[in-house]
Amino acid sequence: MQTHALDIQALKRDQAPSEGPAGPAETSLRMENLNLFYNQNSQALFDINLEIPRQRVTAFIGPSGCGKSSLLRCINRMNDLVDGCRVQGRLLLDNEDVYDRRVDVAALRRRVGMVFQKPNPFPKSIYENVAYGLRIQGINKKRVLDEVVEKSLRAAALWDEVKDRLHESALGMSGGQQQRLVIARTIAVEPEVLLLDEPASALDPISTLKIEELIYELKSRYTIVIVTHNMQQAARVSDMTAFMYMGKLIEYDDTDTLFTNPEQKQTEDYITGRYG
Amino acid sequence: MSPFTPRWRHFKDRAATVSVTAGGAGVLVAILLIFFYLLYEVLPLFGNASIEKRSEVASPFASAPLYLAVEEQTEMGFAVFADARGSFFQLDSGRVVLEADLATDLGPVSAVAEESAGKRLLAVAHTSGAVSVHAHEYRLSYPGGERLITPRVERLYPELAIRIGEGPLQKLALGDNDDALLVVAQDAAGALHAQRYNRSENFLTGEVNFDLEILPLPTLAGETADFHIDENLHWLYHIDSKGGFAVINLRQRDGTGKLEVASRGELFSGGGQLSESAMLLGGISLLAASDRAELVQYFMVRDGEGGHRLQRVREFDTDGVSIATLLPEHRRKGFVALGRQGEVQIYHTTSHRRLLSESALPLGAGAAAISPRADALLLVDADGSLRSWHIDNEHPDVSWSALWSEVWYESYDEPAHVWQSSASDNDFEPKYSFAPLAFGTLKAAFYTMMIAAPLAICGAIYTAYFMAPALRRKVKPVIELMEALPTVILGFLAGLWLAPLIEDKLTAVVTLMLALPVGVILFAFLWSRLPLAIRARLPDGWHAAVLVPVVLFIGYASFASNDVLELWFFAGDMRGWITTELGISFDQRNALVVGIAMGMAVIPTIFSIAEDAIFSVPKHLSYGSLALGATPWQTLVGVVIPTASPGIFSGLMIGLGRAVGETMIVLMATGNTPIMDANIFEGMRTLSANIAVEVPEAEVDSTHYRVLFLAAFVLFMFTFMVNTVAELVRQRLRIKYGSL
Repeated sequence: MQTHALDIQALKRDQAPSEGPAGPAETSLRMENLNLFYNQNSQALFDINLEIPRQRVTAFIGPSGCGKSSLLRCINRMNDLVDGCRVQGRLLLDNEDVYDRRVDVAALRRRVGMVFQKPNPFPKSIYENVAYGLRIQGINKKRVLDEVVEKSLRAAALWDEVKDRLHESALGMSGGQQQRLVIARTIAVEPEVLLLDEPASALDPISTLKIEELIYELKSRYTIVIVTHNMQQAARVSDMTAFMYMGKLIEYDDTDTLFTNPEQKQTEDYITGRYG
Repeated sequence: MSPFTPRWRHFKDRAATVSVTAGGAGVLVAILLIFFYLLYEVLPLFGNASIEKRSEVASPFASAPLYLAVEEQTEMGFAVFADARGSFFQLDSGRVVLEADLATDLGPVSAVAEESAGKRLLAVAHTSGAVSVHAHEYRLSYPGGERLITPRVERLYPELAIRIGEGPLQKLALGDNDDALLVVAQDAAGALHAQRYNRSENFLTGEVNFDLEILPLPTLAGETADFHIDENLHWLYHIDSKGGFAVINLRQRDGTGKLEVASRGELFSGGGQLSESAMLLGGISLLAASDRAELVQYFMVRDGEGGHRLQRVREFDTDGVSIATLLPEHRRKGFVALGRQGEVQIYHTTSHRRLLSESALPLGAGAAAISPRADALLLVDADGSLRSWHIDNEHPDVSWSALWSEVWYESYDEPAHVWQSSASDNDFEPKYSFAPLAFGTLKAAFYTMMIAAPLAICGAIYTAYFMAPALRRKVKPVIELMEALPTVILGFLAGLWLAPLIEDKLTAVVTLMLALPVGVILFAFLWSRLPLAIRARLPDGWHAAVLVPVVLFIGYASFASNDVLELWFFAGDMRGWITTELGISFDQRNALVVGIAMGMAVIPTIFSIAEDAIFSVPKHLSYGSLALGATPWQTLVGVVIPTASPGIFSGLMIGLGRAVGETMIVLMATGNTPIMDANIFEGMRTLSANIAVEVPEAEVDSTHYRVLFLAAFVLFMFTFMVNTVAELVRQRLRIKYGSL
């Protein structure tokens, strides 16, 4: 039972030094007074104001039902698929409002990739899974596809494991491999932002570790937003951390600061394991 | 915890296991029982005939008879001897029951001819040249509960005093129908004579008069070996000793005033001389056997130039047996052939089967006859013995080739697939070809699926994937409720309301079928061009509601414009236009009507299964695709449909199985004509409807009855195969797309 604040430095000690861009990061995503309603009388998010920096890992933490996944899904408008869901306020991606009427949702989602909690490879071959995002954009040249598939699988640290069985069904892979395949599939379309919704919660510890290493590798190229239940994980992989509670953003700061020196009492209670 | 709980739970577990196992096994056993019952009813069709000795007694007769017959009950035989006496005798004891006088006053007998197989009408030629006609009859009575057969012989037409030439006649043939009595005979010198007594009836007194007409036969080359008359007294078949034939048209004279020869040729391809010939039941087919073991069937066919020719229809493999005697059956198109060395063979012409081939039976030389039911063979030998055999030959008329191949039926101009199982007379050749029925079944299923599959699957896709949940909750049960609609109501509506409507408003129906898809797509295109402000008012998934007035309008417009369009394009009569311009005949009850009506019955089945399959594609898969920037349509085509494909496929297959087995709709809306024509405007007869129509009129355990069981078996195998293939494909697809 952990009752004291996490030793961030100890957790980060084993990792290679970050090669991400030095200095203050520019903002990739900005949320202004964002409210989310699931129907008339159920509000899921209350006045969220948040700035997510480019090419950094931002973690959303909080107890179950606090709205962290709902917030994540606002970013690529996956909430549109929920019947009766309504968003108020502004959510800017590179200063463009994601909820503007003229926005092509499909184009938005190409820019904002998402990995779900449960690995969801398509019932197709490994190769076709990775190539899917390109094919739906009308790219069918074998040379291009081969190149992208290899590059994406390498980026997802999966190439060596699957290069001999690219044309076998993706459903025969282990859960951890499937999740990395989903990440490879997502980065194959070169998104700007990568949303990870508890990507390791369904995986064993070794697979979790691999996913975390992967996140660390990928942050030099993508803006990553991760939702996690696991505070150690948030502490290990993220640069920034937002703590949410009951649909409200309680505290948002540097990961080191938030875990070692939280400003809010609720944050401290949560990270020291008093509730949640 | 009570100590009894685990035991109780154990018992419940066991009970559940046992009852579920018993239920499952029971279903399998029931299906197997149906399968084996059908097989049990069907198998006798393919069995061979058998023959066994019945009795052998010393012949009560001093000489071999010139003619021999057996009556219906196979108790009594009738023999005619050269002294113009006939004897009725007990088959098994040889005791003579009655002696009959066959015009002994006209002198001894030189030849006897039977009018046709089973007609019990004899022409007896006396040595004086006179010919008498006799009928032998048997009356059944049951004094004291015992069956008593009273035979008698009656002399017919004594007033005609038929006489041909002066000397004894070698051979003769008799033909008798409503128009005339015809006697053809060969005199001692070998010359042929034909005398026709034309019947005329005084319709006031009912008195019948005969006018004698001596027919001028043409001179024929060769020595006469045998001759026969057909049932209509139209053709005289003349065969010379070298196997050449000439068919004389008894109704047509040539330039010289003689009767015309309609067809000439050689009977046997392998040379050889005629050893025996006979007319098959019905007097249409000529059977001929050569001394070189050739056995052939011929009948007259139109040759396309207004004439007729004697056509070789089949040859039978005698297995090297040289046939000496041919005995046509009295009720079927089969015959018994006796070889020179005591072989007995039984054939059937339509099914082209040899049902029995026994060798070395002690037949001996003498007269032979088969009973009317073809269940007994009787021989009276010159050496003084009377032998009978029992023949078991219940179903000779069915064979693989008769069921599925083209068969050249009597009176047809070419081989054909025909289903015609019954007729009003006994001479009829039953035509049991499954080809038109199987074709009709597939045709009905094809047009049904043409209409049902696109509608059901597109409907399922829309309902499961695009439709708003609130609307879906109402639409799905309504469509599934359609499945509960009794098919007899659909069939009734199709036959009595839809078929006349389509016939009447054919142009409108065709217009509707073209305009509806085009109109809907056009409307969708226009909708996508509407300003966003208007489109945004319609909530997602309610587009179908907007389409309802469009569909109604197109329907109304199609029917309203029927007369105008028909006048413009088809000169006011599309039905007539189709028949004259396209050369397609139009039946009121046709495949289009069946397709629509049966489509209505099949749509709910396919829709329900396919909709469930599409709807149960895990949401995380479609979300995965959408999150990659795929449009809903791309997600549908790329992920949802492939994943749901096993379910969609099995929905289609179960729909197909239902369309194949469906009975009431096809019974009421197809017209039930067993034709083989894929034309959408003509009807058909399906296997299932055929069974429903004919089973009530088929005699139990008759060939017809068993053939209907065979049709049921074919149908069963058909649906079994469709479902098995469906299941195999579904399993494969499930392995491919499974473990989600």
